[in-house]
Amino acid sequence: MLKPILLVEDNPNDLELTLIALSKSQLANQVIVVRDGAEALDYLHRRGEYASRPAGNPAVVLLDLKLPKVDGLEVLRNIRTTDGLKSLPVVMLTSSKEEQDLVRSYELGVNAYVVKPVDFSEFVRAIADLGIFWAVLNEPPPGSQRYVKPNK
Amino acid sequence: MNQAVTAPVLDLSTCDKEPIRTPGSIQPHGFLLTLGADLAVLQASANLGDWTGVAAIDAIGRPLAFVLGDVAAHKLASELVPELGPRPLYVGTVTTPNGRHFDVLAHRWDGVTIVEFESVDRAEPADFRHLYPLIGDFLLKVNDASGIEALAVLACQHIRSVTGFGRVLVYRFDADGHGHVMAEARDERYHAYLGQHFPASDIPAQARALYKLSRIRLIQDANYTPAPLVPALNPVTGQPNDLSFAALRSVSPVHLQYMRNMNTLASMSVSLMVKGRLWGLISCHNEGPTPVAFEKRTACEQLGQILALCIESREDAADLQFRLEVRRTMVAMLAGLTQGSDFIENLSHVFPDLLRFARASGVAIMIDDRILTYGDTPDQDDIQALVDWLTLHDHGDVFHTDKLSALYPPAERMTRNASGLLAMPISRIHKHYLLWFRAEYVHTIEWAGNPHAKSIAVTDAPTQLSPRTSFAAWRETIHGTSQPWHEGEIEMALEFRTALLGIALERAEQMAELAEELGRANKELEAFSYSVSHDLRAPLRHIVGFADLLLESAGSEDAQQRQRFLKNIKEAARLAGKLVDDLLSFSQMGRASLHPTTVDMGELVTACVDKLALEGRGRDIEWDIGPLPTIWADPTFLHLAMFNLLSNAVKFTGQRDRAVIRVSCEDLPHEWVFHVADNGAGFNMEYVHKLFGVFQRLHRMEDFQGTGIGLANVRRIVERHDGRVWAESVQGEGATFSFALPKQTQH
Repeated sequence: MLKPILLVEDNPNDLELTLIALSKSQLANQVIVVRDGAEALDYLHRRGEYASRPAGNPAVVLLDLKLPKVDGLEVLRNIRTTDGLKSLPVVMLTSSKEEQDLVRSYELGVNAYVVKPVDFSEFVRAIADLGIFWAVLNEPPPGSQRYVKPNK
Repeated sequence: MNQAVTAPVLDLSTCDKEPIRTPGSIQPHGFLLTLGADLAVLQASANLGDWTGVAAIDAIGRPLAFVLGDVAAHKLASELVPELGPRPLYVGTVTTPNGRHFDVLAHRWDGVTIVEFESVDRAEPADFRHLYPLIGDFLLKVNDASGIEALAVLACQHIRSVTGFGRVLVYRFDADGHGHVMAEARDERYHAYLGQHFPASDIPAQARALYKLSRIRLIQDANYTPAPLVPALNPVTGQPNDLSFAALRSVSPVHLQYMRNMNTLASMSVSLMVKGRLWGLISCHNEGPTPVAFEKRTACEQLGQILALCIESREDAADLQFRLEVRRTMVAMLAGLTQGSDFIENLSHVFPDLLRFARASGVAIMIDDRILTYGDTPDQDDIQALVDWLTLHDHGDVFHTDKLSALYPPAERMTRNASGLLAMPISRIHKHYLLWFRAEYVHTIEWAGNPHAKSIAVTDAPTQLSPRTSFAAWRETIHGTSQPWHEGEIEMALEFRTALLGIALERAEQMAELAEELGRANKELEAFSYSVSHDLRAPLRHIVGFADLLLESAGSEDAQQRQRFLKNIKEAARLAGKLVDDLLSFSQMGRASLHPTTVDMGELVTACVDKLALEGRGRDIEWDIGPLPTIWADPTFLHLAMFNLLSNAVKFTGQRDRAVIRVSCEDLPHEWVFHVADNGAGFNMEYVHKLFGVFQRLHRMEDFQGTGIGLANVRRIVERHDGRVWAESVQGEGATFSFALPKQTQH
């Protein structure tokens, strides 16, 4: 059974667009949607309303950078400093191209970084590439990093 | 024209060593006794026998009556009390057994009672009455005198008529101690000294010190033979007697020679003390020996005191007037300086005032390595080098000289326009200088004889110098000096400097404030641009995304999905518009200046509630508005902040059947604290620190609409009023937003 993909996205429009993009990439993985950073951590740590979910990490976390309550970088920091979550692949999704975000994300050990392009078909392709790489190839070597350039 | 001859240093220092306080002898126009507490004679002047017929040596150890006879001794005994001070007091006129009359002066000094007997030709005490009209007359005329010179002339005339001296002159000392004859009254037969200068070396330092203590001195006959004291040493101290205050004190043989050289056999001088300083002397000369009895000397001393007091008050008035003028110029300048951004640049706009301020002929401002000049100044390179020299040699806050080349040899080339310099640094950090230049003042000093010639006439005694022998006018041309700087100018320059530094400091504070403001603005701008790239991009991306999807799905049968895509596009476009509006208002809030006035918070809240009525249409909202004060704030901004809080309260109580919104105010000693409480959704206190950030949201977009700017605006407004903002909540039960504004008085 394939591990699920955890999608952390607060914006309903972005959520819908990402879900459409994922469905277009023909991935068989289940997509679990959480709406803010706090909820993402609850899911990953199996607490709160996710206390009773089956054990196991998702195949990949698609993490929006800007989230209510606990933002994406804080979620990332939490993942990278928690035993059992450390090696979880995390792909940052954001509309920001600002270097600052990139650097900070990489410092915290993000596995990939997708700047949400304005062009939707590009976005679909980027999501599909990501999905295939992380969800299908499934088990990444520890510490591997890959930056998927959405514009190719 | 004479050239100045350099005088050997020896000249001055030798006179300075004359033991003028302890000459060991007296002038012989009277006799002197020193007495112990029992009024027995301890010492007598050697001329005692000449006056009384009792030899000095025989008088030692004897009672006073042995010398003076019973009557005179009895008369004096009650006066010669140990309480006598160092100033000689007239204690009576006595007649000795040999029929001679003496005015008796007594003072106590050096452990003994010093009694001086001055020969007079009357048996009665001195009659002062004829002197009162003279002093009264002087006092009357004092008020009419136009200036210090006229006053001094008046004093000279009066002293002449009291004493009968042939020439009376007043001279004042300049900063270097040279005496300038400013007033004179003389018999026609006497040579005029008016306007001439006597070099400082004519009156050695220890004489000046003595003149401060003892205000009047008489040399009755320069050809006198001194009468030594017998025995020579004061038996109480074992030292030569200190005769500083004795009227008969014998003077230095050098001085006597000086007098003979001047063709003056009698001389008297009265000290003019102004503000504790030896301002000058009234000097009296007579060709022949001239006795001046005690009462006349007293009258002269009083005239001198009155003159000194008048000088003091006139000088004070003139000084005050002068300072007032300078200060007026300074205030005018400062007023011109505070406008504009660069006050040092501004200095150049008030150049004419700067020149007038210090009565200078040129002025220069040095700003780091840039030099601005006005008037007649040395050239840029010379000024640069001069400032380098000034910087190297710490001269304190203000440097001034009227002979720059004497201190700074390179200035010899620029004596024409820079003989005088008044310079001061006008920044504590930078190399900023303000320099005033005074042009050379070539002038001629008319000396009463060549002052440099004193050493030429060396007498046969190799260790003793003879004073100069010529008092014929001798002209000296002075080069390389400027008019001296007035004390008031130097003080005002210091004051000006303090004011400049004050302005600089104020400017620095303003700059710091500005930098801080810029820093804040910058930080906000960063957040702003960050937000623009995130939040403003999102709706655009959504529009494009859904539009693409719409195009893709064209022809498909899922009409419902297309409908939703269209709705999403519309929503995203609306949100983009609102974002732009909100961002604009937010950025404006950082820039616009506050216009505080009195604000009735009750009215303000009511206005907000009315405006919100539309939004809460169809809902059950209970408004509970407590008593609110009138405060000092910007009404427009405060309205915006309050509206944001109230509108949030309405928004977050949207899921309540009955919303309760409370507005209240606490009156604390230093601030007003306002609360807006609701029973709405509230928020998780864990994230309270994010609440007031730009574009921070604690709720899902679809739960509560908003751009995430409202509370950032509230914080910005409150902080610009120097206030604080905070919030508390129990999630699901409601939230309370509070802000505190300091109680400010109108300003």
